[in-house]
Amino acid sequence: MRKGLGEFEHLLLLAVMRLGDEAYGVTMRREIEARTGRSVSLGAIYPSMDRLEERGLVSSRMGPPTGERGGRSRRYFRLEPAGERAIRATRDMLASMWDGHEAYLGSDR
Amino acid sequence: MTPLVPSAPPLWLRILSWLLPRRHRELVLGDLYEEYTELIRPRRGAVRSRIWLVRQAVASAGSGLAHRVYDLFRTPLSQPGPGGPKSPRGQMDILNQDLKYAVRRLFGSPGFTFVAILSLALGIGANTALFTVVNRLMLEGVGLSDPATLVQIYTSEEDGYPYSTSSYPDYFDLREQNEVFEDVVAHAMFFAQSEVDGGEPMLSMGEVVSGNYFDVLGIRPALGRGFLPEEDATPETHTVVVIGFEYWQRVFAGDPAVVGRTLRILRRPYTIVGVAPEGFGGMWPGIEVDMWVPSMMTDHVNRAFGGTRLENRGSRSLFLTARLAAGVTPDQAAEYVATFSRGLEGAYADTNDGRIMTALPAEDVALHPFVDRALLPVAGLLFAVVGLVLLIACTNLASFLLARGADRKKEIAVRLALGARRWTLIRQLMTETVVLAVLGGLGGLLLAQWTLSLVVGFQPPIPIPINLDLSPDGTVLWFTLLIAVAAGMLFGLVPALQSTRPDVAPTLRDESGAVAGGRSRWSLRNGLVVAQVGLSFVLLIGAGLFVRSLQKAQSIDPGFDTSAAAMVWPNMEMSYITEEEGAVLWEELVQRAAALPGVTGVTLADRIPLGFAVQTTNLLPDGVAPPEDLDAFAVDHAVIDEHYFEVMAVPVVAGRGFAPTDVAENEPVVVVSAAFARRFWPGEAALGRTLSRRDREYRVVGVARDTKVRTLGESPRPYVYFAHRQNYSPVLNIVVHGILPEPELLGQLQTMVRETRSDLVVLSASTMREHLALPLYAPRMAAMLLGVFGGLALVLSGIGLYGVVSYSVARRTREVGIRMSLGADARKVVGMVVAGGMRLVAVGGILGLILSATVTWLLSRFLYGISTTDVATFVAIPLVLTAVAMVAAFIPARRASRVNPVEALRTE
Repeated sequence: MRKGLGEFEHLLLLAVMRLGDEAYGVTMRREIEARTGRSVSLGAIYPSMDRLEERGLVSSRMGPPTGERGGRSRRYFRLEPAGERAIRATRDMLASMWDGHEAYLGSDR
Repeated sequence: MTPLVPSAPPLWLRILSWLLPRRHRELVLGDLYEEYTELIRPRRGAVRSRIWLVRQAVASAGSGLAHRVYDLFRTPLSQPGPGGPKSPRGQMDILNQDLKYAVRRLFGSPGFTFVAILSLALGIGANTALFTVVNRLMLEGVGLSDPATLVQIYTSEEDGYPYSTSSYPDYFDLREQNEVFEDVVAHAMFFAQSEVDGGEPMLSMGEVVSGNYFDVLGIRPALGRGFLPEEDATPETHTVVVIGFEYWQRVFAGDPAVVGRTLRILRRPYTIVGVAPEGFGGMWPGIEVDMWVPSMMTDHVNRAFGGTRLENRGSRSLFLTARLAAGVTPDQAAEYVATFSRGLEGAYADTNDGRIMTALPAEDVALHPFVDRALLPVAGLLFAVVGLVLLIACTNLASFLLARGADRKKEIAVRLALGARRWTLIRQLMTETVVLAVLGGLGGLLLAQWTLSLVVGFQPPIPIPINLDLSPDGTVLWFTLLIAVAAGMLFGLVPALQSTRPDVAPTLRDESGAVAGGRSRWSLRNGLVVAQVGLSFVLLIGAGLFVRSLQKAQSIDPGFDTSAAAMVWPNMEMSYITEEEGAVLWEELVQRAAALPGVTGVTLADRIPLGFAVQTTNLLPDGVAPPEDLDAFAVDHAVIDEHYFEVMAVPVVAGRGFAPTDVAENEPVVVVSAAFARRFWPGEAALGRTLSRRDREYRVVGVARDTKVRTLGESPRPYVYFAHRQNYSPVLNIVVHGILPEPELLGQLQTMVRETRSDLVVLSASTMREHLALPLYAPRMAAMLLGVFGGLALVLSGIGLYGVVSYSVARRTREVGIRMSLGADARKVVGMVVAGGMRLVAVGGILGLILSATVTWLLSRFLYGISTTDVATFVAIPLVLTAVAMVAAFIPARRASRVNPVEALRTE
């Protein structure tokens, strides 16, 4: 497997995980925006999701065309086992780098 | 619920979506559509939702484009396709290849690319922003179907002013008798209080319209229907209303079952029969009315202004718009209405004498012929200004391209020598320029959007809510794309031709690749800088003149006390308060206002000078002959109480002001302004003279010092004051002066009015400062806009000069090295380089000076109290320009002085 996850890819995978069966462009965009306050554009989501799919971390399927979208289809994403492993690996990696530093930096939560 | 955006995306969105990789287009459009209709639009206003949509779309297109560019670097440059260069497939491949080459080259020098794109974005952004406003306000119309077959019909005033409104009886006659129109529509604005069950009463704006309005103009309601013929056939029998889309969203939360519900206008229930389509806000661009009622209801909704209009031929309140019958030209229609109105003149001499109708093609009228005539020069001036800014930006582009061309001279010479066709090279260079320009255009679009999102929230100081949807539409995108590509082609061509001149041998021979053959290019670049400086100079002089004009306007003494004060403007008639009751209520309001803490004086006046409303009354001073063809003079006037002169600090220079005893039972009296006395009774005493108005004689008991009346720039204007107790007015300003900060004064005053009489309609409330913003609005806007654009031009020229000096420093590294190794000190080297740059500035400055002196007279009509050759401006601006130019030349020059002689000598 190629290198670890980029920050944005990490966020995207976590969004897919949180949303379960309801993970597609609109919900992912809003999930990330609502939780991180970071404005995300749809144009940035799809190329990254393509790459994640190429790497086998997620899979996607097209839903039926709906009126809410002016007769267009949603592209639903699902987390694959490899994706779950990647998230976990990234978290562990970050955690080990953080280990012992929370006290030093203080916690602003 | 009806869809809020059509499922087929609007043109501008489709164009933006082309920037996305094809496989993502439909997905992104679908997501945008879903989020906009389901989540954004129901929770935000129309304008804010549009802004959201535009931001999202632009951001998505931007990241889509970035990913495509990134992809270019991942795939190797391909060879022309199997079909060969002549086949369409091969052509596309060549284009693709050129594009890839261009993008790579641009990303190869990110600094250059960034500055070039930024320059263009600033220039294009200014043009796009202005175009968006002008397009929406003056070009686009309000969305009537087939406007080419519509005409606007006006009735002239007695004094010959041709574009005034028409009366109901005249309209009915024209509609029935005419032979040239398919139908004639009448419409007029009204203000009235409206409320729905369980809601607060609110002041709403609407149009009274003839029953055929929606059908003839081709406005298809979003819900329900327009009016039926029988609903506009008999006076005050059909209380039906069509509500605006915004009003529907705001007041009824978009209730899909709104048709059939009730809305009260001036306490009378009206049945909602329809909802106007989104984006249609009545007949005036920029104004979105809340509702439409049949014209037969005019006397009800207009009760605030009294009287029946339906039968009064002399009461003219209607705008007329007519649909031409097949085969009739606007000229024929104009001829017809003129003849028709002459017939009315003969039949109704007492009301229609001198009232002639005109018809103008609807497409030639943006707002109103009179307003257009005032706006066109302003729009023209602004376009000239932003055009100059763009020209300066393009000059930067051309200058940078020349420098790059010179740098690539050797590469190009090698390719030419190896047999590359010149056309191929030019095409590649041009592709690069056009890519730059399109990116600049995209940046400009973003800048324009950002600027306009600031403008949207901006309400000029007039009591009409302005609602301009300034999100870009297809027209604006095409405009931007067009100027971007035109700029790229135009300003890229000369550099491309220059740098591909087939004088291969000298270039290849010359090891330095710079000096020989570089001469003419170098001077062309110098010429461009000179042009930039000259153009910036002109813009800055313009900005300077407007700033000085604003200073002048601010320092003009309006002639009345402008210290801390607040004013409210209640309307007794709209509140169903009779004259007897009203007279008592005014007294009570004045007494209670006077008792407020911190208030030093209270007065009533139906007009505060320098306000939005201009009112005149027809009167005849004794001993003066009426003007030719008329029986009276139209003079500006105000109705005031006995405290006015003291509270507003307008001294009475002769005689007396009003007294509480100047009541209806006593002799009618007036106070006139000094300018009035001079104008009508020059050299004579005005006191004791009389003037007649509406068959009443008024005796002049006082002369007041002049104040400014309509504008700050005017010379003293005749002004007449009438006593409030002798001329009851249901609509008066209550003005309080005081020692508290203005917002506190205003807050107290508003609370007091509400507590005194909770149902009293207050039309407006403002501080003195806000009131005075109106006369200063135009000079302030002019100074601000010209200042911003002048500043922009200065920055762009600075960038241009910086680029040229940097380039010359880079070119002269070796020369500088030699000089320094021969003992020249750093300061001398810097001086030499700066002087080289400043020579260009001096030449440009002189050209700019000559140009300014020849064109600033165009501004004279916009300026207050200063000449177009204002000395202060013509001294200050060159100093500012020189200072900025010095900085722009000094920064790269300092780099030259840091040259290490040994390194420098080794560079070639």
